[in-house]
Amino acid sequence: MNHKNMKQKLEFVIKDKTIVSIVSIIFFIVTGYIVFNYMTPEWKMYQNEFQSVVEEKLGVDRAATVRGGLQQVYVKDLGVTDRCITCHMGMEWKGMENTENPYRSHPKEILVKHPISKFGCTPCHGGQGYATEMQSAHGFAPFWEEPLLGKELAEFYVVSNKKAMMQMNCNTCHRYQKETNGMDVINNAKQIINNKGCRACHIVNGRGGTVGPDLTYEGEKSAEQFNYERIKGFASMFTWHVTHFKNPKELVPETVMPSFGFSSSDAQSLALLVMSWKKAKLPIEYIPGNNFRDIPSSEESEKEERMKNGPGAFFVQRRCFVCHSVSSLGVEAAAQIGPDLALAVEDVQSRFGRTLDDFLMKPTGTMDVVLSTMIPLTKEERLEAIGKLRQAYELKKKERQSVVKNK
Amino acid sequence: MQFAEQAKKIYNKLVWTWNPGSEKESGDAIVKNILLHWFPNKISKGSLSWNYSFYLGTVSFVLFSILTVTGMILMFLYVPSVERAYSSVKDIEFVVAFGWLLRSVHRISAHLMVAVVFLHMVRVFLTGAYKNGTSVGSNRPVNWIVGIVLLLSTLLLSFTGYLLPWDQLAYWAITVGTNIASSAPVVGEKIRFFLLGGNTINQNALIRFYVLHVFFLPVLVLFLFLYHMWRIRKDGGLAIADHESLNQKPEKALPVKSKTYSLLGITNGTSVHVQTTMVNEEENTVSSVPHLIRRLWLVTLATTAATILLAILFTAPLEEAANPSVTPNPAKAPWYFLWLQEIVTDTTLKLGFITINGAFIGGIVLPTLLIALAVWWPYRDPSGTGSAGVWFSSERKKQNYAFIGICVVIIIFTVIGTFLRGPYWNFYWPWESWPTMPVKF
Ligand code: HEM
Repeated sequence: MNHKNMKQKLEFVIKDKTIVSIVSIIFFIVTGYIVFNYMTPEWKMYQNEFQSVVEEKLGVDRAATVRGGLQQVYVKDLGVTDRCITCHMGMEWKGMENTENPYRSHPKEILVKHPISKFGCTPCHGGQGYATEMQSAHGFAPFWEEPLLGKELAEFYVVSNKKAMMQMNCNTCHRYQKETNGMDVINNAKQIINNKGCRACHIVNGRGGTVGPDLTYEGEKSAEQFNYERIKGFASMFTWHVTHFKNPKELVPETVMPSFGFSSSDAQSLALLVMSWKKAKLPIEYIPGNNFRDIPSSEESEKEERMKNGPGAFFVQRRCFVCHSVSSLGVEAAAQIGPDLALAVEDVQSRFGRTLDDFLMKPTGTMDVVLSTMIPLTKEERLEAIGKLRQAYELKKKERQSVVKNK
Repeated sequence: MQFAEQAKKIYNKLVWTWNPGSEKESGDAIVKNILLHWFPNKISKGSLSWNYSFYLGTVSFVLFSILTVTGMILMFLYVPSVERAYSSVKDIEFVVAFGWLLRSVHRISAHLMVAVVFLHMVRVFLTGAYKNGTSVGSNRPVNWIVGIVLLLSTLLLSFTGYLLPWDQLAYWAITVGTNIASSAPVVGEKIRFFLLGGNTINQNALIRFYVLHVFFLPVLVLFLFLYHMWRIRKDGGLAIADHESLNQKPEKALPVKSKTYSLLGITNGTSVHVQTTMVNEEENTVSSVPHLIRRLWLVTLATTAATILLAILFTAPLEEAANPSVTPNPAKAPWYFLWLQEIVTDTTLKLGFITINGAFIGGIVLPTLLIALAVWWPYRDPSGTGSAGVWFSSERKKQNYAFIGICVVIIIFTVIGTFLRGPYWNFYWPWESWPTMPVKF
């Protein structure tokens, strides 16, 4: 082995050894960083602080009972694993009512019927139960669709009632109740559904008309299933529903759904209500009153019965009453889109310059579309309609005369 | 006592000296050690050099080992069921000690392995290393074909792993991928059915992919790799060693003391006096122990460190839970298939009544042709033995250009598919923002 050769060999050996050393050092630093991160998770800081808050408020003895490490609520029946209590440690503690979050104890009254061990956290509050870091646990993270339904979200959407958003989740179980204590926003929306007669066109909870889409599982839809082209600003499903409730034609110009002139807060309530209509697999004991059905109130059924079997039954069965009242026959329109048909005989004459008979046999404009697509009527049915409308007109005239006389 | 002796014997088979004092000790380290005896005693400096092989094959194997180790731990944590898969991955991310790192390292190594194996193939092609050189009994084209099977197995390994997290990314990438398979004429639907164990991606598909991913494919890669290495020994080492020996003038070598194995046992004597090319052996070779071993250790260490660093910088994604009724827009195959997806969309043509099925061309015809071409190539390479084991041999200029051309097209299409295709597969420059996808709140 000559000398030159020897030296060459050494050169590459030295180089190799240097690289090994450098890489090893990098390796150690990276390992150190990882271990350090592991030893100092965000939640440990909160746990330490919780301990000192307890010590301050309730004394050293109580502080010693604070549990450490990752904590979770596992609710097998609901398939829920919630690690929120890793940081929100004071949930069930007495004497922590007036501390700040995340240490504050949960309001007591609601927990009586909704114990944490049976409900977890996320079924009501939203958020990501799996997570152990604040940002992702609160659900404001990419690829997580259920954010915390709390103050931040309410502020973002300018919802005046800061607790409104959460009621959407209450309604998963309370869906079939007409009114529920503490769910004012959803109660309001349910009231609107009845008052405005949404069921004339839509099936809700299994009953209603088929002019519009079935809304029973509206909450199952995903955000991608809506068209946001006409939405100004933030494209979210919630925004879509609110905008749509305020003025359906703004988003879907060809829709026949009328604008009901809802206020912002009514539209928001309705949006939360329809988004709550999900297919939830719930164990029976989670359904209040074991009531799995939306039973119409006696008032509702009475009215329905009256309209269905009264003198105006024809117009109810053929679903003309979705848009038109026939006041003299006791038919009340669900949404007052078209004119009262009790006056059709003179109305048609003055608007179209044609007789009612002529018009119904050969309709023009909107009614042409409606009668050729949504409500196809045979010739006999048309004749029947004309007869009924004449009858209604006679009754209406009499009504008018009696009003005049009474004056 | 006997036991202790046995244990010591086994121990001695597993360890070796790091710092041999003599050539004999160095040789013994190789011969007597069970882990090392597949390496040659001495290795040429060219074979050891960085800028011949870039150690890309070694890096591939290191990545495979990292994947095996992290994968085996993940097997204890992951549950291959439609109901539990997603949440078990969430648990790995959030509550398993170092779980996020484990998953991230596994994922990044998988991506890297696809890329590095590809680059290794590029290196082998451009150095003409699939060619037989001067050494007797070598059959490098076979090793090239083994390599192709390794590349395909690597792709399949990555593809089957892609489904396991059961999130939207997984579900739809596999949907796109298996739909391409179904475009094959006549048997297409059957192939898809066979892959998925049904007509839809569900529990059957998940368990199939899982078993392939954690058992059959890794074992296949392991055995093929062992054969790959064994062939390198049979082929007379790396091709560059052949090339080096060409440049050495044959001279008469001194008679070497040797042992001859005869029917009667071992007889001492001298070797037959022949001209050999081994004159410069002293200058051109080094002992594998410690030099090759140190190198391999270095490559292993560096690959591992780089992988962990990358895993910290680019943590593994986990999208929403798989939802068959919501198609993400755009739905993309895994990145290494995006050149095919890109070609699939570009070759869907309508000429009058005839629709040229893009999925068939891009998904079936083209890949089959490319694989066939690759298998066939070494046997039709007309260049001489002097072109084996050198970068950009002038004799193979045209071949190298053709090969680089194909690679560049594949890379360009991959980049377009990965970075420049947005919703509805529309083209977006990097500085153009994609339309924001709607969210629930
Ligand atoms: C899992 C995938 C693979 C592994 C782990 C692997 C491993 C290796 C290793 C460690 C070497 C020694 C030289 C070096 O490090 O570059 C090598 C050489 C070689 N590989 Fe691979 N390889 C793989 C895939 C491939 C592929 C895809 C091809 C080609 C299609 C291929 C063809 C070859 C050939 C021909 C050689 C000999 C090179 C020479 O003589 O210079 N291998 N491989």
